[in-house]
Amino acid sequence: MYVSTIDYPLSFKFFKNFRIPIFLLFLFISQGILAQNPVDGTVSDENGLPMPGVTVKEMNTSNGVVTDFDGNFQINTASESSTLIFSYVGFESQEVEINGRSSLTIILKEDLESLNEVVVIGYGTQRRADVTSAVATVKSDDFIQGNVNDAAQLIQGKVAGLSVSLPTGDPTKEAQISLRGIASINGNTSPLVLIDGIPGNLQTVAPEDIASIDVLKDGSATAIYGTRGTNGVIIITTKGAGADMQNTIDVTSYVALSSISNSLNFLDAGQLRQKYQEGYTFSGANLEDFGSDTDWLDEITRTAVSTVHNVIFRGGNKTSNLTASINYRDNEGTFIKTDNSKYTARLDVNHNMFDDKLKANFNIILSEQEFFTGGDDGNAGYSFNPYVYRQALIHNPTEPVTNADGTWFERDVYFYDNPVAYLEETKGKNRYRNARFTGSLTYAPNENFNIQALYTRKGDYNIRGYYETKNHVSTTKNGLEGYATRGTDDYIGNYGQITANYDKKIGKHKFTALGGYNYEDNTYEGFFAANRNFPTDSYTYNNLGIGQGLPLGEASMGSSKSSDKLIAFFSRVTYNYDDRYLLMASIRQEGSSRFGADNKWGSFPGISAGWRMNNESFLKNAKWLDNLKLRAGFGVTGINSDRSYQSLSSLTYSNYFLYNNRWIRELIPARNPNPDLRWEKKEEFNIGLDFSFLGGRISGALDYYDRSTKDALYDYDVPVPPYLYSSIRANVAKLSNTGFEALINFIPVQSDDFQWNSNITYSTNSNKLVSLSNDQFQTTNDFFYTGGTGEPIQTSTHIVEVGQPIGNFFGLKSVDITEDGIWLIETPEGEIIPATESSSADRQILGNGLPKHYLSWNNTMNYKNFDLNVNLRGAFDYQILNFSRMFYENPTVGYNVLDTAFDEVYGKAVLSDVQRYVSHYIEDGDFVKLDNVTLGYTVDTEAMDFIQNLRVYISGQNLATITGYKGIDPEVNRIGLSPGNDERDKYPTNSIFSLGLNLTF
Amino acid sequence: MLSNTKIFKYVLIVPVSISMMLMALQGCTNLDEEVFSEITEDSFIPAQEDIIALTASAYTPLRYVMGWQGLFDLQEESADTFITPTRPNGWDDGGIYKHMHFHDWNETQYQPRSTWLTCFNGINNINRVVSQIESGSLPIEEDQAAAVIAEMRAVRALYYSILVDTHGNVPILTNFSDEIPTQSTRAEVYDFIVSELTEVIPSLTETADASTYGRITKWGALQILARVYLNAEVYTGTAQWEKCIAACNEIINGGQFTLDPNYSAIFETENEDSPEIVFAIPYDDIYATEWSQHMKMLLPAHRDVFNMQAQPWGGSSANPQIIDSYQSGDKRLEDTWLMGDQKDADTGETLFTLVNFMPSIYFCEFEQGLRCHKYEIESGAKGSLSNDFPFYRYTDVLMMKAESLLRTGNGEEAAQLVTQVRTRSFDTAEDATVTGSELMGDTTVNYGFLGEDGTVTEAGDQSNVQFGRFLDELAWEFTGEARRRTDMIRFGVYQKKSWFNHVPLGDYTTLFPIGLEELNTNTNLKQNPGY
Repeated sequence: MYVSTIDYPLSFKFFKNFRIPIFLLFLFISQGILAQNPVDGTVSDENGLPMPGVTVKEMNTSNGVVTDFDGNFQINTASESSTLIFSYVGFESQEVEINGRSSLTIILKEDLESLNEVVVIGYGTQRRADVTSAVATVKSDDFIQGNVNDAAQLIQGKVAGLSVSLPTGDPTKEAQISLRGIASINGNTSPLVLIDGIPGNLQTVAPEDIASIDVLKDGSATAIYGTRGTNGVIIITTKGAGADMQNTIDVTSYVALSSISNSLNFLDAGQLRQKYQEGYTFSGANLEDFGSDTDWLDEITRTAVSTVHNVIFRGGNKTSNLTASINYRDNEGTFIKTDNSKYTARLDVNHNMFDDKLKANFNIILSEQEFFTGGDDGNAGYSFNPYVYRQALIHNPTEPVTNADGTWFERDVYFYDNPVAYLEETKGKNRYRNARFTGSLTYAPNENFNIQALYTRKGDYNIRGYYETKNHVSTTKNGLEGYATRGTDDYIGNYGQITANYDKKIGKHKFTALGGYNYEDNTYEGFFAANRNFPTDSYTYNNLGIGQGLPLGEASMGSSKSSDKLIAFFSRVTYNYDDRYLLMASIRQEGSSRFGADNKWGSFPGISAGWRMNNESFLKNAKWLDNLKLRAGFGVTGINSDRSYQSLSSLTYSNYFLYNNRWIRELIPARNPNPDLRWEKKEEFNIGLDFSFLGGRISGALDYYDRSTKDALYDYDVPVPPYLYSSIRANVAKLSNTGFEALINFIPVQSDDFQWNSNITYSTNSNKLVSLSNDQFQTTNDFFYTGGTGEPIQTSTHIVEVGQPIGNFFGLKSVDITEDGIWLIETPEGEIIPATESSSADRQILGNGLPKHYLSWNNTMNYKNFDLNVNLRGAFDYQILNFSRMFYENPTVGYNVLDTAFDEVYGKAVLSDVQRYVSHYIEDGDFVKLDNVTLGYTVDTEAMDFIQNLRVYISGQNLATITGYKGIDPEVNRIGLSPGNDERDKYPTNSIFSLGLNLTF
Repeated sequence: MLSNTKIFKYVLIVPVSISMMLMALQGCTNLDEEVFSEITEDSFIPAQEDIIALTASAYTPLRYVMGWQGLFDLQEESADTFITPTRPNGWDDGGIYKHMHFHDWNETQYQPRSTWLTCFNGINNINRVVSQIESGSLPIEEDQAAAVIAEMRAVRALYYSILVDTHGNVPILTNFSDEIPTQSTRAEVYDFIVSELTEVIPSLTETADASTYGRITKWGALQILARVYLNAEVYTGTAQWEKCIAACNEIINGGQFTLDPNYSAIFETENEDSPEIVFAIPYDDIYATEWSQHMKMLLPAHRDVFNMQAQPWGGSSANPQIIDSYQSGDKRLEDTWLMGDQKDADTGETLFTLVNFMPSIYFCEFEQGLRCHKYEIESGAKGSLSNDFPFYRYTDVLMMKAESLLRTGNGEEAAQLVTQVRTRSFDTAEDATVTGSELMGDTTVNYGFLGEDGTVTEAGDQSNVQFGRFLDELAWEFTGEARRRTDMIRFGVYQKKSWFNHVPLGDYTTLFPIGLEELNTNTNLKQNPGY
């Protein structure tokens, strides 16, 4: 604790007076013994601005203070010849001998290379300069601003090789992320997300509560996490209180307005009437003119208003400090009723004892989330019901919403229901509660060794209800007389780890060593029930037993429970010789309960080396060079099976059978068991170069990787007979991915008033399926079809084929149209035939849904008190299957269609073919998006002494897209084995404007 | 890299091994899976009751017959009876229904695959149960064991009687193992069915009442046998008319079954009491909900006609050429097909009118084409029906015998049996009566390719169909009972004639191709000829 002798302004007197007794107490305890030689002074940066919060420490003692708001400090040192160390994150530390002086003026130099910046790696941290693998770090200052609802969106476009996209406007959905292509044929691209070292997800903590995000990209870095390390590791560090931190309150608040960025042009009432006049006749929806003029999409959408508030309390001293935060976000969706509101509270307490030999941490995160249930599939309630959106698109615009008597206007057309009625006659609520409690103890008998024990208990609980009233079509058309469901899920997890760290410096040799044990178990339980035929609507889903579906045998009920376990031992050593040669090696021995009895354990080694060339004598004289490091690494990571029990022979009671007038359940094997089920493994080689020139004006990192996945888990086709079922979960496929990533930071302008920081991230990836067979399972054909158009086209959209990349579209190649409006197809042999004569044998590869290149350009400009962020992001060289055009750009269908359906195709004829999956609907997806523009103004707070910082800003997201793609948004689904399918029922993406403030007391 | 390897060995592996040993001592390395909502085979101790549950799995797959793309689609849509054209709400589905009509399917066609998978699922289940009984792992008495095994083998023969007809050259499996099976010829499969049935029939129960309803009895097994004998010439090249007559006679002489005096009663919702059902597949709209064929046939607007609780999908309808072939006075026309004005069940208002006209498989309006109404649609019917499917019925026994007699020169005796069957469907005995010479005549169906105006534009093969008139009798009696294709092949019509938008492609189409996935995963399998 420091003692400040400066005069507080009058307005602060009260606080000062209040604090004096505490100051005296601390003065007595901590400084009474040592106080001999007082030294004071100020610390400022190179621009002469005072620096608060700088740590001032007397060398070789535990004596230390921190500078105040104005950069002033006062310290009592042991002698006049003591040396003081001044340090601050992002600045170079300085050692200054007092030499009898009583007052010092210190100027700290900014550490532009950030080489001393601490990077979070698995189970520990490392100096940026010592890192030998591909690790990206994004600090909160560089986060994307605006209405951001999960951690991934904060770093969208900021990490080369990490693709973050939000292909939906659904407020309950999180961003899609994938790192370095598709490494797993099972389609799992989720990275491991750690929140302060403990597994969680991208929404475990509020984005406003995050201090930095580190992304471990290559295998040598993630091998220490063995399991789930394949898709990278995202390490989230929350905002915390450091030792001797000034007590602060940070407030972040914003309000955001969202609207659908782009919608499809279906025939409106006027256009449809014109078609009638032109002599068009339709069946189904557009059979006749019903005399109204309804914009159905408008009826179910809105401009959504969202608000977010976040308050963080931080403070304490070096022995005890705490962080408490509360976050409230109320997000409205652009579709009526879709919403998502969430409270998150977090408390983090650090407590150091016995001369810092024992450190205790206690952490709680609690959250409660609520959103409308628009439907329930038995596994989860979902906010957005795509059926409602589809109905709004395909509805006859001349129909009224309601009849004259106020009842809903409905017609008896196939799969055709009034979307407004459908939405308004459903009630639902989904509530989640999450809690995690973490406690840890770290014992450090000396400065070279510590041992830590950590335990976390995690739980998620969900209850949900859904009800369709008696005015819903489920009753008015299908006689259910009210339909209700209730569901609940419960997750409990235990996570424990014991780690020991040792580091030693002998001359030019620096070693660290880590050893540890990790235990994790997860238990999932679920319950679901549905009933119908209720006497009244007034119970909704709250009195499920009253429904008569129960005695009629038309109610349903189900429950389940499953669990899994992961246990690991791990070890890592690092070695640094003279800050020139760096080495890191790790191994993890991990076991998963989900694999076969003899295959539960896997080994995951990682090794990487670095050469800091700028520290070599031959480059010592290159003044323009700040940093040059060559890195290379190799690592093995694993993917756990995503389902339990696949290796076990299990029986299940299944369908009913009539036996002697009684329905009894048959007893059958639950699956084809695979006792040989084992880890999917990925081997990755990475080579990279870190550089910084010209005093940090240009810096960056380049990485090349080559990853190969073996024993990839997949539900593999097996012959029936002898197998009972036609697929088995097995380790069959081999995949390879290669790619290149670049991050370039540059500072085009740097002056007193104006600074412009810019960075560009670029990545490219190419992947290939290498094999689909192994010793146990052989195929004669080396491909399978995947993805689906859904009804009524009912064909697969993609092919996964050995020797080819994932994501290939496979269908009929349309090249022309007949006079009668029938597609003309070019067969693989080059023959042109009408589509009506084509067969599935005439299909061919039509494109690929995975972008080959990602590029983003992030800019931060500061002019006096103004700051401006502009982010541009693009993806290139890929195709999209435009489902909306495939289904609705066709005048023959029995529903409302796009106005372009009546255009002549190829300038020749209006289409009169059935809805078909042909290449005409596959479009290039290349785009550049003006993703985010934020203009901020930092208010001069010198006159407001109780305010440390006040900034207001306005932000726009998804502002403009340059693309040739005709659909709503070229940023479509990119995960799984059928990327590039722009599903017709997808919740359209939004453009968002936010107005917010950041305030620190 | 050598030094790196050493680092792995000494610096990493050693401490990891030591810590592993330490932790193992503490019991923190147990990775056994704990199960909650399933039963592992290791820990399962079957009770007497579970034997029924295990044998049930021999029968439940059969319910696919009237399910989505079940045996019905295979047997009726490839035949001259049912057509699924494109409709205003779709039904192109990548051309799969058109392939069924054109016979230009390939190894990716799902309907044949569905039959393959279902039949082998049943066969695998049976082999599994049989091996469990034989190995003594089920608590079952010796005489009960023999009866169960006999029944299981008869059901297995039933699955093979479907496969021998659809795919022909299929693997014969009699035990349960992971071994990749080898293919047998169609004749070998036929021999296997015959020898299995001949062997087990004496051990099967003769009781035909509620206690054996929905299961294969001696009578059911005899009817399987009769049906494979009836088609023996197709399967093996050698006809077995006498053996077919003998098997039919055994059922007839057993005296357990009689013709149902009311044709509709065989197919009504509560049809389990019909005296002519030899083997039924029981369905139930709560317990056994696979029956969805009515959803594919009826129009969406039929919901109001039948007060249904589900909105049908409106796809398949009757080939007008078959409708036009019915004799006047044959009540089976209206018992089988919905036609004309369709009225709201509550108001009596005419909602739409079904017409016996389909312009093209490439497009039909909803109301074009008559819809099958053979199986009663109860008021309040759902997406699945409770009608039991009469897989084997006594009429078929009489008709098999009649056909065998007809083909062996006993036309008049055959005509008596056919007349006996027709009597309940005609108002006068005169209309009901047929003669042997009539039955020996040509078909009365106006075969040929239809133009968009509904008239024959390309006649195609117009040669005389031997016993064609008998084939017509089979159409009128059995259409919609998932067997038309088999009958047409036996009479040589399937592979020769044109109908609606179908033109013949050749004899090879009488067998379906083996599925791509099956060929792909089992290299022992050879594709059927012609594909």
